[in-house]
Amino acid sequence: MDWTRILQILFTGLIIGGIYALIAVGLNMIYGTMRLLNIAHGEIIMLGAYVTYWLYTLYGISPLVSVVAVMGIAALVGAVVCRWIFFPIISTTKSVSVLESNSLLIFYGLSIIFTNVASLLWTTDARGYSYLTNVVNIFGVPLMQNRLWALGVSFAVCVFFYVLLQKTMLGKAIRALIQDRDASLLVGVNPDGIYYFSFAISFALAGLAGCLLSMFYEITPFMGLPYTVTAFIVIVLGGLGNVLGSLVGGILLGLVETVGVSLTSPGWRPILSYSLFILIIVLRPRGIFGKGVY
Amino acid sequence: MLGVVILALMPRWTSDYHVSVLLDVLMWVALTESWIILSGYTGYISLGHAAFFGLGSYFMALTWPKLPFLLGILLAGTLSSLFALIIGLMVFRVRGPYFVILTLGLTEFILHVVINLEIKLGGTVGRILMGAPDLVTLYHAMLAVAIAAVIVAYLVKNSRFGAGLFSLKEDEEAANALGVNTTLQKWVAYVISAFFPGVVGAIMALRHSYIDPYNAFDPMVSFQVIVMAFLGGMEEVEGAIGGAVLLTLVSEALWARYPYYYMIMIGVIMIVTVKFMPLGLVAPFKGRLLARLADGSRNGA
Repeated sequence: MDWTRILQILFTGLIIGGIYALIAVGLNMIYGTMRLLNIAHGEIIMLGAYVTYWLYTLYGISPLVSVVAVMGIAALVGAVVCRWIFFPIISTTKSVSVLESNSLLIFYGLSIIFTNVASLLWTTDARGYSYLTNVVNIFGVPLMQNRLWALGVSFAVCVFFYVLLQKTMLGKAIRALIQDRDASLLVGVNPDGIYYFSFAISFALAGLAGCLLSMFYEITPFMGLPYTVTAFIVIVLGGLGNVLGSLVGGILLGLVETVGVSLTSPGWRPILSYSLFILIIVLRPRGIFGKGVY
Repeated sequence: MLGVVILALMPRWTSDYHVSVLLDVLMWVALTESWIILSGYTGYISLGHAAFFGLGSYFMALTWPKLPFLLGILLAGTLSSLFALIIGLMVFRVRGPYFVILTLGLTEFILHVVINLEIKLGGTVGRILMGAPDLVTLYHAMLAVAIAAVIVAYLVKNSRFGAGLFSLKEDEEAANALGVNTTLQKWVAYVISAFFPGVVGAIMALRHSYIDPYNAFDPMVSFQVIVMAFLGGMEEVEGAIGGAVLLTLVSEALWARYPYYYMIMIGVIMIVTVKFMPLGLVAPFKGRLLARLADGSRNGA
């Protein structure tokens, strides 16, 4: 294998890994702070992709501009879902196992609503558009410009998130709430604000991922579930509740998949990532860094 | 008892359409009852019922018509239980959300393994089953499976073993400390629970006389079962029947005509029900039912 081939695989891995990181960080924020598993996460990605597609094909708005609107709408939806559905349930449900199964059912309800609204609005045919498809050479590796943008945007957001969590008071409050709920309440962390923030940020990041993915993948109403499962794999890799672990886990999974596929064939991609997932969950259930929480 | 006889004789009086609707209802009853044996009683929410359904379907597709019908469906169930026995080693090392994600992940894993095997071996992904038994035979088989599932769910619930399962929903550590071998309990419950979706999958493969990996391992099956169990109160044997019958009939009435609106409606109903009746539709009646039982006024039935 020559250098350009290796670089090519590396770039592809980083592009897809960056998007995985965005998706997983959002999912893990909600899990970490509220212990809720959002199985409708992939459907937010799907809706983000469709809205981007609409804005581009109907009004010619560049996906790199509409990303702001998509993230805004998604954040709003997240806050509404949090306020109208989860606040009342969390305050009334005492049993952890009932809360677990009920939140699963609610997210499942949301996911079938989103999938079928999308089927009504856009039919079940696969959609797509081409934008910035001209090829640029980076270190001798030919790459499409839209993928470079996806790489740049996702990594910038990841860095932003890292700084937010590590350096700001808000980030410290979030990490405190994840680590020890009771102790964080004692030192004055306001959980309701953080719940809102988690939902809004989580949905916004999923919308952003959908926006970026729509530039180079086909969009269908059913594209969500595989991304949800992939995001689960990433958060298990990085540790449930370990938000920074998800950033690393996402990029790692992107690289592992791309290298694996280049050695075997594309049909093997899901098998590779699910095997990795099962191995990790059985051997190191708290993630590769061992810092996950139950 | 009378109800069972009436159900068994149904095909004599009604059209094929009604029999096939009833077949669907019985299928969901069997799936939901078997799901609550592990997940309803212990609180370990499994998203893996579709995996057993798919394995049963594939076993039937590979052996039909070499094996006789009855032997085929029983072996499909046994294979499914055997598979639960093996993966039980793995899935019960984790709990809570990890268990939920792992069972979903395993189902997707098996789906993709089957797709890859099918492409490698046959070049295509679908299989056609020729010369399947007629509708009435399949209906009677499904009726027997559904009744068996209800009886097993009932017997487990009212046994010492069932008490052990319920104890680990309350507090697994405490149950362990009191000498309940919780791992073994969950494992046995899983093996029992997996038998039924295997048999049901095998019957449904013949019913549709066509299978492909996507419809055999459809994750919707796992989710739908949870919804039905939830409507019935999660751990109630009678409730699970109610949930399965209700949702299947509503879907039969609306799905064919307005598929998308129907699904949206189901989603809305789910959210509203969970929000306002977090313990399912039967919970409000449960108090009255218990009172009646205490009175001893519930005879026979």
